[in-house]
Amino acid sequence: MLKTACQEQLLPGQTLQQKWDFARDAGFDGIELRAKGDLHFQERLPELRAARRDGVVMPTVCVDMLHFFGAFDADLRRDAIVQLKSQLSVIAELGGLGAQTPASYGMFSRRLPPFTPPRGADEERAVLLDGLTELGEHAAKEGVSLFLEPLNRYEDHMVNRLDQAAELIRAVGLDSVRIGIDSYHMNIEEADPAGAILAAAPYIGHAQVSDSNRFQPGAGHLDWPVWLAALHSIGYDGYLAVECCLTGDPVEAVRSIPTLLRRSGA
Amino acid sequence: MTATTTGLPARVAEGASGDRAGRRDLRAAASRVLLANWTGASTVPSHTLYPHQWSWDSAFIAVGLARLSPRRAQRELETLLGAQWDDGRIPHIVFNPAVPHEAYFPSPDFWRSSTAGAAHGAPSDIETSGIVQPPVHALAAWLVHESDPETSGRRGFLERVYPRLTAWHGYLHSNRDLGGHGLASVLHPWEPGMDNSPCWDLPLERVDPAPATTFRRADLTHGDAADRPTDLDYGRYVRLATDYRDRGYTDAGTRHAFVVEDPGFNAFLIASEHALAAIALTLGQDPGPHRRRARALTTALVARLWHAEAGLFLCHDLRTDTPIAEKSVTGLLPLLVPDLPAPVVRALLRTASGEHFGLGSTTALAPSYDLRGHSFDSSRYWRGPAWFNINWAVERGLRQHGALTRADDLRQTILATSGASGFAEYVDPRTGRARGTTDFSWTAAVVLDLLARTEEPGEGADR
Repeated sequence: MLKTACQEQLLPGQTLQQKWDFARDAGFDGIELRAKGDLHFQERLPELRAARRDGVVMPTVCVDMLHFFGAFDADLRRDAIVQLKSQLSVIAELGGLGAQTPASYGMFSRRLPPFTPPRGADEERAVLLDGLTELGEHAAKEGVSLFLEPLNRYEDHMVNRLDQAAELIRAVGLDSVRIGIDSYHMNIEEADPAGAILAAAPYIGHAQVSDSNRFQPGAGHLDWPVWLAALHSIGYDGYLAVECCLTGDPVEAVRSIPTLLRRSGA
Repeated sequence: MTATTTGLPARVAEGASGDRAGRRDLRAAASRVLLANWTGASTVPSHTLYPHQWSWDSAFIAVGLARLSPRRAQRELETLLGAQWDDGRIPHIVFNPAVPHEAYFPSPDFWRSSTAGAAHGAPSDIETSGIVQPPVHALAAWLVHESDPETSGRRGFLERVYPRLTAWHGYLHSNRDLGGHGLASVLHPWEPGMDNSPCWDLPLERVDPAPATTFRRADLTHGDAADRPTDLDYGRYVRLATDYRDRGYTDAGTRHAFVVEDPGFNAFLIASEHALAAIALTLGQDPGPHRRRARALTTALVARLWHAEAGLFLCHDLRTDTPIAEKSVTGLLPLLVPDLPAPVVRALLRTASGEHFGLGSTTALAPSYDLRGHSFDSSRYWRGPAWFNINWAVERGLRQHGALTRADDLRQTILATSGASGFAEYVDPRTGRARGTTDFSWTAAVVLDLLARTEEPGEGADR
């Protein structure tokens, strides 16, 4: 069975220790952390170290900011890289696997006006390769991975599909840069989500799960058995980290997820 | 990236040696084959050798997909049924229009179903072949339903497929009982699915081969010629298909050069008729007609095709009205029939493990043809090699008739051999060496089904 993790903000409780008690009781194997900007994640180190001492398993962190390493603005790009490097160092100190980020989020969509991004394709590619290289080298030094997350077309205009992420990773040439797949975005972008997992198999490092409607797994119409069988068939042994909105009673919604995933073949 | 078995963990190659990790790895590898061979609405048997949808392949594939995703399994069957003709026939190939004609022969421009088959209600917007394959579909639909009745019920799966499956059996009953004895006949060696069996050698001698210059085989591009039918046989296959097409795919009132009653084809029909009875019952409809038809078919099967002196069911050539004296694994497939007379079952079980098939003694898997037969060839298509779908059916038959230890042994052999062979299309029945293509869908599918059955509690009740 694949291990499951739940993002911290979804879990009831005031402290990580309380959230961990709930998570374990529900059947989760870990907590995925969220990292705000302004080095907030680094400032949480005393809290995180204490949680680790108390046995809380925190394998991954997901960036929780509004600017990213693919930003149009050079200063925001630089800051995003500073933040992510710090987040990679913190998750390494916690004994984790890596940090997940998209190229951008909410900055531009080719499906919405004005439809054409202000940067040319060559410049966009150069920005992405520069950012991934700098972050990947830092991740390698820390012994963790950077997980590049393709987002759907309405949330990002640069990296939407697994094959685009894989191509960038090949160009960067660093084992420390992997794809962080997300079932919700894949449902929109991939013609055959399971086939996309097989095709990108060597590059997949992390997986986030939510259903077709961004709610908790089980609340939408994704074919979970197929999606999970594809991960098993490539020998994936990482986490399924829940990143979603919740519908219904929020506590019961979170509690239902490990069972749903296990019954679907996780 | 396509599915490949290169670099599989050693545990897969060793097969399901019984330990949990071995079974898990075998399941992952088999899943990968089916996921990679999925094309969006159905599964190809093999991307190289068979790049379209095949009728009985899809039925076996659905049985395996049911263990992976009940929804995808339902889709597999419903996609096939979407190409059903108005006369009820399910064509043996449904062509993918995105695949170039040269990728497979005979291609859509040979069959011309939308025009040549128009009088029998061939779809106008999908190209198919005009012949059929064994009716495994209702059995598959029932097994798909059984694997997850809740999903099946919520999605109305049985309600949708039941009328189509009934029409399919109606076609075989009304149009294909060409001998008038209550059994379905086949009109082409490809229809019983065992294309190149020595059973067809004599009936085919009457057929003038189409000149080799009039067609171009595609199977030799991806397959070893030594494993495939000869050019002369291929010319005869083409002649039969051409004649059938040129008569508008009409069954009755016309003289067919090749008409055979095949025990395996009819055994699948009987098992599927029982499945239709179960489906009818689930839907609150009367199972009686299906049970009566299954009984009548069983009576006719035993009366017409059982040969006690051979201890086997034999094919019957309707042109000459004589049994075909070749021992083929098709003659063991009536083990699928639940209410055979006890002496027939006992004799079949003896024959399965006797000198001609050697199951459990000289061979680990049932060969497609008599080990002592004059035409036995351990590597050529249906003239000796063992096939995984057929062995799945034999395993099911053995279990049904209470030969549980032998069924368990065969199941373990199927699991071990399939993984080690890279999910081969077929294997040498003695050595298990892979033949034909690999990453073959129904091989992976029957593995998924048998693995799931192995883990079911109270599995011994599966009979």
